[in-house]
Amino acid sequence: MDSLVVLIPLLPFIAAFLIASGLLSGYIEGENSEATTATIANWSINMSCLLALTLLVTDLMHKSTGSLNLGSWLTSDNLNIEINFITHSINIILAALFSLILSIVMRFSVNYMHREIGFHRFFAILSLFAAAMLFLVLSGNAIGTFFGWEIAGLCSYLLILYVYQRPVATVNATRVFVTNRLGDIGFILGISLSLAWTSNANWLDLPTYATELTTSEATAIALCFSLAAFTKSAQVPFTPWLSRAMEGPTPSSTAFYGSVMISAGVYLVYMLEPLFEKSPFAMGVLIVIGAITAIHSYWVGLTQTDIKSSLAYATSGQLGLMFVECGLGYWSLAIWHLCAHAIVRCYGFLSAPSLMHKVKDNPIKPINPNISQLQWAYTASIQRFWLDQLADWMLVRPIKRLAHDLSYFDDHVLDQLMGIPTPTINTISSLAEFEEKLLGAHLEQTKNPFTNGSGIAGKITSGFASVMHWFEDRFILRGIGKDALNMGRKLGRTANKFELLVLRPRYLVLFVLTTLLLAF
Amino acid sequence: MSPTHYPFLSVIILWPIFGAIATALVSDIKLSKRLALGTAIIECILTLIALSLFNSIEGNTYQLVEHYAWIPRLNINYALGVDGISILFLPMTALITLSAIIASWNSVQQLHRQHFALLLVLAGVTIGVFTATDTMLFFLFWELSLPPFFFLLGLWGIGPKRRSAAMKYTLFMLFGGVPLLFAILLLAINHATTINGSLPDALCFDIIKLLETPLADPLQLIVFSLFLLGFSTKSPLVPFHTWLPTATMEGPTQVTALLIGLKLGLYGILRFALPLAPVAAVEYSWALGILGAITLIYAGLIASQQTNLRRLLAYASISHVGLVIIGIASLTPQGLQGALFQLVNFTLISSSLMLIAGFIQHRIGSTEVLHLGGVAGVMPRLTSFYFLFMLASIALPGTSGFPAELLVIFGALSAHHSLGITALAGAVLSAAYMLSFTRRAFLGPITRSAVSQLHDLRPREIGLLCVPAIMIIALGFAPTYLLNINQTAVDAWLTHLLEPTKVERNEIAQLINP
Repeated sequence: MDSLVVLIPLLPFIAAFLIASGLLSGYIEGENSEATTATIANWSINMSCLLALTLLVTDLMHKSTGSLNLGSWLTSDNLNIEINFITHSINIILAALFSLILSIVMRFSVNYMHREIGFHRFFAILSLFAAAMLFLVLSGNAIGTFFGWEIAGLCSYLLILYVYQRPVATVNATRVFVTNRLGDIGFILGISLSLAWTSNANWLDLPTYATELTTSEATAIALCFSLAAFTKSAQVPFTPWLSRAMEGPTPSSTAFYGSVMISAGVYLVYMLEPLFEKSPFAMGVLIVIGAITAIHSYWVGLTQTDIKSSLAYATSGQLGLMFVECGLGYWSLAIWHLCAHAIVRCYGFLSAPSLMHKVKDNPIKPINPNISQLQWAYTASIQRFWLDQLADWMLVRPIKRLAHDLSYFDDHVLDQLMGIPTPTINTISSLAEFEEKLLGAHLEQTKNPFTNGSGIAGKITSGFASVMHWFEDRFILRGIGKDALNMGRKLGRTANKFELLVLRPRYLVLFVLTTLLLAF
Repeated sequence: MSPTHYPFLSVIILWPIFGAIATALVSDIKLSKRLALGTAIIECILTLIALSLFNSIEGNTYQLVEHYAWIPRLNINYALGVDGISILFLPMTALITLSAIIASWNSVQQLHRQHFALLLVLAGVTIGVFTATDTMLFFLFWELSLPPFFFLLGLWGIGPKRRSAAMKYTLFMLFGGVPLLFAILLLAINHATTINGSLPDALCFDIIKLLETPLADPLQLIVFSLFLLGFSTKSPLVPFHTWLPTATMEGPTQVTALLIGLKLGLYGILRFALPLAPVAAVEYSWALGILGAITLIYAGLIASQQTNLRRLLAYASISHVGLVIIGIASLTPQGLQGALFQLVNFTLISSSLMLIAGFIQHRIGSTEVLHLGGVAGVMPRLTSFYFLFMLASIALPGTSGFPAELLVIFGALSAHHSLGITALAGAVLSAAYMLSFTRRAFLGPITRSAVSQLHDLRPREIGLLCVPAIMIIALGFAPTYLLNINQTAVDAWLTHLLEPTKVERNEIAQLINP
């Protein structure tokens, strides 16, 4: 009976594979194939849902063994990672709930996406997502959960890219994926640390291993995993990715950011309960971040005027509350909150399009005047507490600048230091170059500003730097380069002369004789 | 030791060279192309037979060994053999040579016969590098791999500075060869002095004997540095990497795919630099780790600035080299197995991505981001393959990149925490540069008319990319198969490296607390 659990994620995966290969081979195409795609996708997720419900009933009747082991996925020395499933309590409950929500979303999308260009692509990705999410909640170890975690993240990326011709969508998708990648650092670090300290990453063994860890070790692992949970569940300071992710079609927003994927963070923290219980500090972090996010999201939510972003902020706020509940030790409450929230939010997101249709001609309700008068608070809310800009200013731009400088260093300093063979003919060598030159390209002058400053101080610095750079470029680098070249030529000539000299028979014989003398 | 006395490895080395001669001599171009293709296919099958003959349980010993005297006066032998570390490089080399031949089927415009012949020669010589168990023979094959690359880059290059790039490559490699030769000679002379033999007779170039020869500590450091210097130009490690971006920009894509796909330098580090100077290697593993970390981050950052797919791939592959070095420097079984896994992986991924770049280059004459944009809309199949390989290169679960990277990071973390975290930072960086390039080149609106008229992949090209794609997914789901092959070899490798130092440490401990 328990072995059926394998089919729960496998069926949607097969569906995704079938649709994707049909699409690539040209077998599934256009409006005529919509029925085929919809049947495959719906049938698979419905079967998964049925299986999950069956297993849930079995579990409730206490007739399931609770876990299933399929053997090892990876072995290296003493490291052994298994493929295993849990068919027990919260895991199977969440699997049943998520598959139910996904099957509703899938059915909803058949009509919603009708005659869209990316119809088949949408269903392939959504099916893959269903497989990933179900594997995430059913996997018996942290690596399996990470597997689902990442594939779900990839699907989110691909669906934000649903209209990939729009530049804004592509920028947002990249940003969302890279932000989530930051959380993955925490996840992999957590996995590696728990493998190193307990040589096991099975969820079921966690309670026994947690007792062996010291408090500081437990805190380290718990904090690593909470970083991952905070990113996935869009907690402060990672909240901005959620509003960027709203680019995707509405049914996918329901599944990803309304109810299913976004809850993964809380699920992860819940699975690590024994670890968190050992570490008061990590619990404190959960409370603080959760509470900050709840307040932040409430505040920002007050000034949102479009339905999807207000729903997004409501979601992240509720998730913040769940983290607070976890931090306070009310684990069951948090997980019931998660389930209830998933259902409500699913309804909220799915009814959003019809709601918008109904209120189409009504004027937008103005913001509550009490808030709009508090100017500073209002601005902060509109600007979403400048989190995005802050991240740009603190992380993205410095790294980009560093990359730019390094690139310059590599091209203009390191490359020259390492040496470039001089081209034999110093003229234009291809037709393309000639044409570019005719069009007005200045191929001889490759001027590249070394610095770019703003403000008076910046201008002064950049001016000074450019003078220094000019000095270095003209006098030191080129000077040495040319001198070294001349020197090298002279040396080469001398060496040539020397060689010619040496290669004359008499010197050769002399040389051999000397060697022989020295040898004996 | 060997299940057969048939000189199987020599056949694998010589077969493509004979094929190359035949290819070069046939006057009909079509026939010579087919000959080259046939030779490469049979070479692939031969290497697969070698893989199946290989007994991975005894992977710590050399198998399929051959041993003939070559220069008896100096004790130089023609000795071949494969162990768990080198065996996987054979089918990979044959596979990417075959890919390169199929990929360049129509894109070569002139001197067809010579082009295909040189590719085959390169395959034979490269397999020689991977199988030689005599240091001098290794050095011979090592240097012999230069001329094919020189001509392939210089004669069939697509950039205007191809001759300069070929020259740059050759000069760098010649520079790297000198310290190698010094190190090899030092080891041979050390062997002679250790056994108190007279000089020319007691020289030893056999790697198995050299591994057992004790080496004085100061000499170890010298040998280790010389090997590292020699191999880091080929790998390449920062700051000796500057030839690679130039070569990828100027060379033909199928050749640059080989250039970044054949991990000769890293193989050398694994095979020679560390085991032959074990004490120095263990003592300075941190330095190696730092070198790897610098390479990983430095190249990753520069990659994020690139606007050309080929140049981006060059820097990405340099960055990958850094990751592999981190895995090796961890000196843990997981880190090492992860590093070997990554080598197979990057061979598949980088060369496939480079071939995809070649397909784009062949169609619109550029891989510059300015000339692309919105390719996904017109070439869905190419984009699908590109996405798969790109995701494998940023180690997404489900592709072979994930288990490999997990092992490397786990190994690095258990050796030095900071190295593991650097490796993780590298993972984020790789996602950032790959995705931001993808966004600019493949997504967004179509801005160029040339792009809108692109023709999607042809069946030949799809078939070509399918093999690595299937391998990447299969290895992502079942990595154990590959790990089993080198398990015992890696264990033996590590024991050799760590045991003497352990003994020494015990001795010191005994001296301190008798």
